[in-house]
Amino acid sequence: MNSFAFTKWMLWLVLFFLIAPFSIVFITAFSDDNSLLFPPSSYSVRWLLSVMQTEIFVSSLITSLWLGFGATAIALVFGVPAAYALQRYPVPETEWIRTLLTSPLIIPGLVIGVALLKQFVLLGGNSVNLALLAGHAALVLPYAVRVVGASLANLPRDIEDAAFSLGASRAQVFWRVVLPNVRGGLAAATVLAFINSFNHVPVSLFLTGPGITTLPIRMLLHMESSYDPSIAALSMLVILFSMVFVFVTERVLGLSRYM
Amino acid sequence: MTNNRPRAWLLLFPATVFLLAVFVYPVGVFLLSSFRLENGVGLDNYFTFFSSEVNIEVYWRTVRIALLVTLVSAVVSYPAALAIMQLGAQYRGLLIGLIILPLMISPVARSFAWLVVLGREGLINKTLVGTGVLKESIPILYTENAVFIGLLQLMLPLMLLSLTSALENLPRDVIAAARSLGANSLQVFTRVILPLTRDGLTIGGTLVFTGCVTAYVTPALLGGPRVTMLATLLYQKAGVTVDEAATTVISMVMLLTTLAVNAALKSRSRGAA
Amino acid sequence: MNKKVMLVAGAVISSAIFSLAVGQQRTLTISSFGLNQPLIDKNVTRPFETLCNCKIVYEVGNNADRLAKLIARKNNPNIDVALLGDYFAQAAIREGLLDQLDTRKIPNRNQIYDFAKNPLGNDYGVAFTAYTISLAYRTDKISTPLTSWRDLWRPELKGRIALPNITTTQGPPVVFAVNRAYAGTDSNVNPGFQQLAALKPNILTFYNQSSQVASLFAQDEIWVAPIGRFAWGTMLNTGKPLAWARLREGQIGLMNTVSIVKGTKNEDLAHQYINFLISKEVQLAQANDLVDSPINKTVQLKPAKAAQLTTLGEFANMRFLDAKYLLGVRDEWIARWNKEIAR
Repeated sequence: MNSFAFTKWMLWLVLFFLIAPFSIVFITAFSDDNSLLFPPSSYSVRWLLSVMQTEIFVSSLITSLWLGFGATAIALVFGVPAAYALQRYPVPETEWIRTLLTSPLIIPGLVIGVALLKQFVLLGGNSVNLALLAGHAALVLPYAVRVVGASLANLPRDIEDAAFSLGASRAQVFWRVVLPNVRGGLAAATVLAFINSFNHVPVSLFLTGPGITTLPIRMLLHMESSYDPSIAALSMLVILFSMVFVFVTERVLGLSRYM
Repeated sequence: MTNNRPRAWLLLFPATVFLLAVFVYPVGVFLLSSFRLENGVGLDNYFTFFSSEVNIEVYWRTVRIALLVTLVSAVVSYPAALAIMQLGAQYRGLLIGLIILPLMISPVARSFAWLVVLGREGLINKTLVGTGVLKESIPILYTENAVFIGLLQLMLPLMLLSLTSALENLPRDVIAAARSLGANSLQVFTRVILPLTRDGLTIGGTLVFTGCVTAYVTPALLGGPRVTMLATLLYQKAGVTVDEAATTVISMVMLLTTLAVNAALKSRSRGAA
Repeated sequence: MNKKVMLVAGAVISSAIFSLAVGQQRTLTISSFGLNQPLIDKNVTRPFETLCNCKIVYEVGNNADRLAKLIARKNNPNIDVALLGDYFAQAAIREGLLDQLDTRKIPNRNQIYDFAKNPLGNDYGVAFTAYTISLAYRTDKISTPLTSWRDLWRPELKGRIALPNITTTQGPPVVFAVNRAYAGTDSNVNPGFQQLAALKPNILTFYNQSSQVASLFAQDEIWVAPIGRFAWGTMLNTGKPLAWARLREGQIGLMNTVSIVKGTKNEDLAHQYINFLISKEVQLAQANDLVDSPINKTVQLKPAKAAQLTTLGEFANMRFLDAKYLLGVRDEWIARWNKEIAR
C-alpha cells in the first residue's frame, strides 16, 4: 500500500529528527579536544571525569536532586488526597478545584518564577530557597493530581466497599486498600513530577542566588560562557539518568498508559 | 452522599490552600500589577509596551514562530501517527516510548545538540558544503531558522502523542470502511481521519503553541539577542533592565496569547463536532 | 492540617534541605563576573578562605544583571562585596547601594597606581584591574591586519562579527569608540549609530558575556569581536590563531572596581578581602594566569606575560572613559541601539 509506505517513511524521519541529535551529544561527550568539535579529533573520558569532579556541577546536581525530591514529596502529600477526593466525593465545586489544581500547567513557568521572586522573595522577605521549592512543588502538583486521579478512576469502588463491610476504618481503607492498588499511578506520578522538576528551567531562572543554582541553570550558564565538551559530558549523564528512570518505569509500570 | 462535602473538603483543603498561597496569590497579584499606575489603575503600561516597534516585532515573531511550529508539527505528525497505528500493537509501546523519551530529557541538553549541528562549522553546513550544495557555509545558528528547528524538535512529541492517542480512540475499521466505499487516501484523511481526531489536534496544537510561546532555553541558546522572543524579552526586562511595568505586561501578554489560542482551537473543534 | 502548619512544614523541609552544606563558618558573599572562575578560585577564593577561616560564596553574572539584582534586593541585601565595572559602580552609588571604604583597613592600597586608588570618588571603591577594549580577530581568516575600528566594515567580514550587546559593559564603550572613529563627539553620537546600523550585514550576533565570544571563536562562528583585554586569556585558550588589534584611534580603557555593599554584616571581612584582592601575591597570580592585568605597582611580570595584558605603559597612554558620562548617556543609547541596531 502506497500511503503506508509514505506514513512509515514519515515516522522514521520523525524518530530520526527526535533521537539523532542525542547521538551527537553522546559522541561529543567522549571528546578529547579542548573545544567543541564535531566529530571530535580524538576520544577520551576525561570530560566525563572532569564534570563529575567539578564542584559547582556536583553542588548544583545535589540542589536539583533535593529540589526534585522535595517538590515531588510535597506534590504527593497534597495531591494524592485531593485526587482521591475529586474521584470519590464529587461535590459541586469539583470542576473548579480540578481546574485550579492543574492550572500551573498552563501558566508560563517564567511568569511563575518572576511572580514568586517579586511577591515572595522581594516583598515577602522569604528566602529564595523556599520560593524555589514552593514554585517547583506547585509546578509538579498537577502531575500528582492527574496521574493518580487516572489511576484511581480505574480502581473499582467495590474493593473499598468490601473493605468497609469487613469493618475497616476510612484511614485503614485508604492506606491498606487504595494506596497499594494505585501504586503504579503513584510511581508514574513520582517519576513525572521528579523528572519535570529536575529538568525545569523557567521557574528556576529567577529563583537562583548565591550558593543556590539548579543543574539545568548551571548548565545554561556554562553553555553561554564556554566552548568545551563538558556540557556534552554533563548532558549525556543527565540524559542517561533520565533514560534509566523512564525505561525502568516503562518496563515495570507501563508509564505510557499514564501520559 | 449528603455527608460527602466535609470529607471532600478535608482532603482537598491542603492542596487548594497550598496552590492558592504559593501560586494563585503571587501570580495573580503580579499579573494584576500590570494595571497599576502611579496614581490609580489603567492600561498605560500596555500602551507604553506596544508603542515600541521593537516590542511589537518581538510579539509577532513569537506568534509567527509558534504558529509555524504548530502547523508543521501537525502536518508531520499525522502520517507518523498513522504509521504507528498501522505498524500494529506489538511495536506501539516501543514507539511511544521513543517519542516520550525526548520529553523526559532536559531541554538544555536538547538545545545543546543543535549548537553542534547548526553551527557554521556544524554538521549541516559541513555536509552541504562538502556535497557541493552550498559554495560557502551559511549562518543558521542565531537566526529564526535555528529557533524554529529547536522548538520543532522540542514540541513535536506533544503533537505526535496527542494525535496517536486520538487515532487509538478512532472506531475500529472506520478507515477500512471508507476505503471499501471507494475513498482515496486524501479523502480518507480529510473526510474521516481529520474530523474524528479534531480533539487530539486541538490538544496537541494547544500544547505545542503554548510550549513555543513560553519556551526560554531554545530561543536563548539558538536565537540569541538578534532573535528575541517574548520569553527572552521577559528575562531581559526582569533581569537586566529591571523594567517592572514591562515585565508584568509581557507576562500578561504571554498568558493571554496562550489562553486565546487555547480558546480559539477549542471552539473550532467544538464547532466542527 | 492548616495553612500555618503547612508553611512551617515547608520551611522546615526546605531549610533542612538547603542548610546541609553550610556549617558554622562565616560566609562572605561576593558579586562577581564569573569569567575564569576556576582560576579565580585557585588564586583568590581558596587562599582567602584559608586566611580568613571563612567561606566565600559567589553570585556571578554580567554587570547589568548583577546590578539589577543588587537594586532589587536593596532593602534586604544578600551580597557583601561587589566587583563591578566602573560605570556600573557609579550607577550603584547613584542608587545608594554602596558604602564608603575605610581605607585604613586596606593597607595594600598604597601599592596600587594612583588612578586605581579612588576611581569612583569619595572612596566608594578601589580598582583591582584596568583594561583596554580592542578587536580580537582570526589571523588565519583575515590576512590584512585590523588597524582601525573602521576595518569592521570590510565586506569580507559579512556575518562574521559579534558585537557586545548594548547592556553589557563593553557595549557603550564600543559605541563611543566607533563614534570617535567616524568623527563624532560626546554631544553628537549620530555618526556612530549610523555607521553601526550600516554594519548590520556583518554582525552575526550580540554577546552578553565575554566568555560567549570565546565560544563563538572556538565554533568558527565569528572572525572578529571587540572585547576587553581581561578576556584575552580566555580567547587564547580556544587554540585558534588570534591577534589583538593595535588600533590607530588609540586605546580606550575601563576599570573594574571592588566595593562594599551597604547593609553588609561582614564589613571587616569585606575590607580584608579587598585588601587581599589588590595584594601583590594575588595580583601576580591573576596576571600570570591572564585573568586580570595588575594595578599593583610592586608586581613584576615576565615580558611574555606582560605582552598579553594591559600594562603600565599602556595605562599611561590610555584614555579612561568618563564613567559619569557613560552612565548619563546609557539609557538613551540602549533605546537607540534597540531601535536602530539590534533588530
